[in-house]
Amino acid sequence: MATPSIAIAAWGVVTGVAMVKAGLSVPIAIFMSIVVFAGSAQLAVLPLLHTGAPLVIVWLTATFINLRFVIFSAASRSYFSRLTWRQRLFAGYLNGDVGFALFMQRYSSAEERGNPEQWGFFYGLATLNWASWQASSIAGILLGGLAPTSWGLELAAVLALVAVLIPMVTRLPAILGVVVTGIGSVATAHVPLKLGLVASVIAGVTVAVIAETHLPKRPSAIAEAADVAAHEGGYAS
Amino acid sequence: MNGINSWPHMIVVCAGLALTTIITRCSFFVLPASFRIPSTIERALRYAPACALTAIVAPDILARDHGYAFTWHNNDLWAVLIAAAVFAKTRNMLVMMAVGMTAFTLLRLYA
Repeated sequence: MATPSIAIAAWGVVTGVAMVKAGLSVPIAIFMSIVVFAGSAQLAVLPLLHTGAPLVIVWLTATFINLRFVIFSAASRSYFSRLTWRQRLFAGYLNGDVGFALFMQRYSSAEERGNPEQWGFFYGLATLNWASWQASSIAGILLGGLAPTSWGLELAAVLALVAVLIPMVTRLPAILGVVVTGIGSVATAHVPLKLGLVASVIAGVTVAVIAETHLPKRPSAIAEAADVAAHEGGYAS
Repeated sequence: MNGINSWPHMIVVCAGLALTTIITRCSFFVLPASFRIPSTIERALRYAPACALTAIVAPDILARDHGYAFTWHNNDLWAVLIAAAVFAKTRNMLVMMAVGMTAFTLLRLYA
């Protein structure tokens, strides 16, 4: 339990520092952290907010990055199907990278899916994650204001995003998709309204999907997410 | 800056971002149990996050306001490459962060 909390805390501090270094004021950064509660998406939209990108692009980018949660929710829904609608909404909100990974690590091979013990574990874990994320994030926000601009801590946000990205890029389709998106997004970096960003993501995803259909069949994304979480502890640990 | 520190603007921004968190995380938890997604869409979901992260990171490192930073003096690029190699090897975010920021600082001061 201690290790994931340290990982979350480190991640939270970095996100907090990066938010302030991107130009957010301390109160607005704290507000964003508490309301949005999705570290990678928060970090990713900072440069877009900074350059005044259209809101639709900001939201779309966050949605793209958050799409992994759709896979998580599909992979773990059978554990929560007996809860009420409102309880499922609450559980879903808390089902981020670390919560999902640790829950699946423990219960992916459970015979019965969805019992009070599992829910208790999930809520205990998830609220601890939420609290340590917010506390560390706010600590980072407060610390970030103290560090001189010349230290170049803006780079910490980029490094953090690279740390999320690398575990996702282990196979050929993802590598091709990332290369296509990378070249496309750099080539179109000066296209107005950040339309190049959206176009290059669509191009990269298309290439990756086509590449996958031409390679030997692999488990579905949903089955694989459960498997990765069960054995490796997920993405952002 | 388009009001990065204007409360009304940022409340709208964050409300939209919070909605994307909630909709994606709760999607299958609140959809009917019989709901399935077509395999092509499922594949696209698998690759969208990595591509979107790349579309943020790559221009951030290589593009500037006007033009590009394809030079040997691009400290961000070297720091990211070194940090990425460290992370690929160790899978430890704290170590990669320390190495990346140290590399960046040394390049900034001495290169």
